[in-house]
Amino acid sequence: MTTCTTCWRISRHFAKALAPIVLVAAVSAQEGGDGWRTYHGDNTGRRHSPLTQVTPANVHQMTLVWAFATGDTSQIKGTPIVANGIVYVTTPDNVWAIDARSAHQLWRYTYPKNEGFHIGHRGVAIDNNSVFFTTPDAHLIALDANTGKEKWNVVVADAKKGYWSTNAPLLIRNHLIVGVAGDFDNLPGMLTSFDPVTGAKQWVFYSTPPPGTDGNPSDGATGGQMWMTGTYDARLNLLFVGTGNPTPVLNGPARAGDNRWTDSIVALNPDSGKLAWGFQATRHDTHDWDAAEVPVLVDAAFNGAPSQLLLQASRNGYFYVLDRTTGRSLLTKPFATANWAKGIDQDGRPIPNPEKEPARDGRLVAPDESGGTNYRSPSFDPGSGLLLVSAHDAYGIYFFKADHGAYGWAGADYGVYGTSVLRAIDYRTGAVRWHHDLGEGASGAGVLTTASGVTFTGDTAGNVLGLRTADGATLWHAAIGRVGNSPITYELDGRQFMLVGGGSSLYAWALPEPPAVR
Amino acid sequence: MANRLQNVTESLAVVVLLHSGLQAQVPAAAEQLQTGQRVFAAQCGFCHGRDAMGGETGPSLTKSPLVRDDTSGDKVRALLRDGRVDKGMPAFRLADNEVAAIIAFIRDQRTSANGARRTVDVADLQSGNADRGRSYFNGAGRCATCHSPTADLAGVANRLQGLELLQRMLYPAKSRAAKVTVTTRSGETITGTLAYRDEFTIALTDATGRYRSWLTREITFAVDNPLDAHVEQLGRYTDDDMHDVLAYLQTFR
Repeated sequence: MTTCTTCWRISRHFAKALAPIVLVAAVSAQEGGDGWRTYHGDNTGRRHSPLTQVTPANVHQMTLVWAFATGDTSQIKGTPIVANGIVYVTTPDNVWAIDARSAHQLWRYTYPKNEGFHIGHRGVAIDNNSVFFTTPDAHLIALDANTGKEKWNVVVADAKKGYWSTNAPLLIRNHLIVGVAGDFDNLPGMLTSFDPVTGAKQWVFYSTPPPGTDGNPSDGATGGQMWMTGTYDARLNLLFVGTGNPTPVLNGPARAGDNRWTDSIVALNPDSGKLAWGFQATRHDTHDWDAAEVPVLVDAAFNGAPSQLLLQASRNGYFYVLDRTTGRSLLTKPFATANWAKGIDQDGRPIPNPEKEPARDGRLVAPDESGGTNYRSPSFDPGSGLLLVSAHDAYGIYFFKADHGAYGWAGADYGVYGTSVLRAIDYRTGAVRWHHDLGEGASGAGVLTTASGVTFTGDTAGNVLGLRTADGATLWHAAIGRVGNSPITYELDGRQFMLVGGGSSLYAWALPEPPAVR
Repeated sequence: MANRLQNVTESLAVVVLLHSGLQAQVPAAAEQLQTGQRVFAAQCGFCHGRDAMGGETGPSLTKSPLVRDDTSGDKVRALLRDGRVDKGMPAFRLADNEVAAIIAFIRDQRTSANGARRTVDVADLQSGNADRGRSYFNGAGRCATCHSPTADLAGVANRLQGLELLQRMLYPAKSRAAKVTVTTRSGETITGTLAYRDEFTIALTDATGRYRSWLTREITFAVDNPLDAHVEQLGRYTDDDMHDVLAYLQTFR
């Protein structure tokens, strides 16, 4: 029997007055609020806006400014990009350019029918003249930003081998960094840099060795795809990106060993694609727990010393704090239900319990395949020092027998039960300061925080939520259908907009305007 | 969500296969199979695998118990058209010939020799000990608090086998609806079956079949969900416990 009151979803039990977090110079903080020009809003992956017009005191007044129905059946799972008053939003095979004031459609680009997986799309990258778009059959397209006409089209990876792409590219100076996916075939993990002007290939980083590599550095594993957008530190000139699970996915015996660099955070030189360091979030993963989640860059005190940190809430249910100059572990702590590890090793990596590897008769494992979190973005609020993560407490049953083979999925797994919770993690300790229940099932919504102390996210029932960052209290909501992307915000004409996807439509919210004076 | 998605997608398979069963005793043309393979790979393949034998989150469509048991399929034909976006399954705007091609493709895969990529056979699940399972059922597992081998679970092993029985044992999602009691500010108490719940709205179906909803901030309510005990147990089972209880349930014939 559960007794509920009107605030049943909020636990402020652990909320308390937050000690101010002294931050040293933040890494390439948002340049301003007049757009949302990259996947994460800036290079840090903090998804934190400096805008302050919408506050905890007035967010309840927010009203719908416009809604844009794509008319496509695919859900919006990507981050809209906003620049020069134009919003670019995507679904697989489609890009729309719409007026950020009115939702008037400027153009729509539709890619020809193709056999790649149409599972989702994360969004575009832009420069002054071009919009860069990946396709389900792993092409990279440059479109004219004014007209939507194709400028060039290059192959990122061979779709016939099983690669596809949902990736929002990352532009670092003259390097356009593009990732692919490919879990259903035993394929090396690839991250490719292209010249954004010509589409010429600059370098390829392999997270697992391509055929013909000497030795056996990954212990026989393929995979480790880098399908999420990375982050970048200009001072260190390092690109940080998470790598995906090894393949064959559930067959561990076929690849005994740690399987580097699958399920890892890797730091790369964006000019050469060379590896500076790697940190493996899951050794020898047998549960499809990509470490592709956003590597969030924070400059802040850690154990009393100014530090250059990298935070990740990983799909395996563990929260990591690394020194991003070296990849050295500073903290490892679970943030979601996890029963698969025997402890933490001296390098900060959970030690997999071999008893929880998929087996013929099944193993009950937390998290399930969809993970303790997933592609939905977290947000770091520098004022409170909280990483806000849409977490998922879930169990699945995992099977593997020799009959499943050693190719692709190579096993079977089934979700049993899961529930979603927004957790506010203190980056210094990994402790959860407060949590806010999001409902049964898995939320698809990421998180946005603003400098005024407002947090936006979505629950599993189709509500977009405005919360107080200090304690997670609900301040505003609207039922818009399944929130499948991570909200963004920008300022236009002196007004702060918040954009979020609900189903296959995009919604723009702002404070009410006073009546026009005539 | 994955669980829900599987239910939905298995149902989808019902429609697809039943539809095909109604119309296609004639072998599909090679051209139609190619079209089916192309459309299936692009639209269905991520969840169900390019070969329809299971992918990420979705089960094999070639081995679904629902495919075996269902005799209608009308619901899922509509589902294919409308989707259930809130549950993670999009609508599919496919031409009739594309739907027919998908049907033909799955039928073809069903009979191909490559299959069983994500299958779990009844024989795989026989590692438990029924005696230990009985002890757990009546003791640490607290199963006997709500269940009895001579009442609600009588003959369960005749109705469900293998993976299906294991899944239902762990979390019987559709078995018993939660009860909710709402108390209004005026002091009126209304009890019924929980029909909807989010942070802001709660709804029940009352004894007359009427759907009634309230803003959660306007009332107080208490939910009695018999499945809460199953959720708690997920964190308590060892794998041996799980297999032992399954072995015990398999004696309920």
